[in-house]
Amino acid sequence: MQIYLPIAELPVNMFLIFGMGAAVGFLSGLFGVGGGFLLTPLLIFSGISPAVAVASTTAQVVASSFSASLTYWRRKLIDFKLAGVLVVAGIVGSTIGVGIFTLLRRTGQLDLIISVCYVTFLGLVGGLMLWESIRSIINTRRGRPAPLRRPGQHGWIHGLPFKMRFKRSKLYVSIVPILAIGIGIGILGSMLGIGGGFILVPALIYILRVPTSIVVGTSLIQMIGTMAVATLLQSGNNHSVDGVLALILMVGGVIGAQFGARLGARVGGEQLRAMLALLVLAVGIRFLVNLVSTPDELFSLATLAGDAR
Amino acid sequence: MNAVGRFALLAGMTLLALRPAAAEQLVVALSTDNVKISSSFTGTGVTVFGAIERDAGTISRGGVYDVVVVVRGPDETLVTRRKERVAGIWLNRDARTYLDMPSFYAVHSSRPLDEIAPKEALMRYQIGFDNLTFRAREGRPQPGDEVFSEAFVRLKREAGLYRDAPYGVTFPGASVFQTTVDIPANVPVGTYRVSVFLFRDNAMLAASNAAFGIAKTGFEQFTFDLARRNGYFYGLICIALALVTGWLAGVLFRRD
Repeated sequence: MQIYLPIAELPVNMFLIFGMGAAVGFLSGLFGVGGGFLLTPLLIFSGISPAVAVASTTAQVVASSFSASLTYWRRKLIDFKLAGVLVVAGIVGSTIGVGIFTLLRRTGQLDLIISVCYVTFLGLVGGLMLWESIRSIINTRRGRPAPLRRPGQHGWIHGLPFKMRFKRSKLYVSIVPILAIGIGIGILGSMLGIGGGFILVPALIYILRVPTSIVVGTSLIQMIGTMAVATLLQSGNNHSVDGVLALILMVGGVIGAQFGARLGARVGGEQLRAMLALLVLAVGIRFLVNLVSTPDELFSLATLAGDAR
Repeated sequence: MNAVGRFALLAGMTLLALRPAAAEQLVVALSTDNVKISSSFTGTGVTVFGAIERDAGTISRGGVYDVVVVVRGPDETLVTRRKERVAGIWLNRDARTYLDMPSFYAVHSSRPLDEIAPKEALMRYQIGFDNLTFRAREGRPQPGDEVFSEAFVRLKREAGLYRDAPYGVTFPGASVFQTTVDIPANVPVGTYRVSVFLFRDNAMLAASNAAFGIAKTGFEQFTFDLARRNGYFYGLICIALALVTGWLAGVLFRRD
């Protein structure tokens, strides 16, 4: 069934978009990530302009993160103080990100920067995750216990000033790295149309040493706040949020996520991480191929504001 | 009839008599004045009907009539960019910004254009892709400009927004013609100008203009306007929509 998208200004197959939302939702439920990093490229590859794809996915991430956060909230697995600091930093970051986004659209380099960022971050995070999960799978096979984190262990991060106490996470840590992470994720998220969970979660675990049980719920709150502000700014500055597209994606996404989460509960954590890592790497490689292979069409048309035509 | 009235009538008749000898006139009608874009819009067609009227005094000449129908969408300024390989990566480098190009352009004719009229006439009225006026914002013409204007037309044609039909205008009767211009789903909204040209023996005899509008309607119009005019308010609605959808899903599929 074809439906005309009022902001993207083209008709799309509603079931195709719904299917994409559901498939990505399934994977995000399975792996516990937002799925923006899969959804935005899928939309771009299916013909929706990068600007509309990024902005509409931003709205979709708000819905899926909120839906997922409810469970963590009921189980009290959220550090609201840490999430609050992250959200404030995230809002600063997404304001900067949307500004850069608007500027890049005008100069015609948006697609390039989006691709380069995808290649860099997906490659980096996917590679690290794969390495880490393969190592721990091998360790488990050989019967060696996974290296435990000792509470007394401190890195240079913990020597930084402006310390703040986060009771829920049992942390007493400088807010400088927290702000830096929040701003960084905010910039990336609003520019790339991703929640950034796949970067935020490892960052919170490995850099700040937030307990694993608290990490997911807390990062979901950060995503809701940051992406909501990004949606608002994208809509106000670039008029590129397609409400109809976003709604179809949201409904597909939240339904798919339920089934994904059910399957995820039956698969081992290490195997899941390795699969997610492969998926992240595959998307990154797809972008890399696009960047380096000779395109069929060297020319492109765009309006002065940067809308592809 | 008073003196003034009689004078006016006389003056009118004199004016009529003074009109050029080529007295063919075009009467043009469109199948619609208004194309409405609703949620189920997947493109449409606009039929241009016309009649060639000749008054009694017109000398009958040999040769056949040729009709060219041009439909132009609202003007837009577009940047044509070319990718180049830099350090192994393909990125946009050189660009030309063409001012006031038709966003949609269809040219239908009864025969191929080069058989109908000489190049100069076609260029004067911007008939045909090759005869569009490309005004680059970059100013003075530079070497390699044609590559960009050719790419512009090629991309527009691939998008279905520039189309031609060399035998698209048909004559159901000796002096009645018609053609249907396909409007694809991705057309921009605005006023579309229809120009009809009548040629014979390489000379233009008459021209006539008409117009139709393409506009979003109902929900599509409302959403688009809201997003443009009150972007922040629209953004808030989208966020509310996201939160409600997320909450509903969380409640409906609650598992604990």
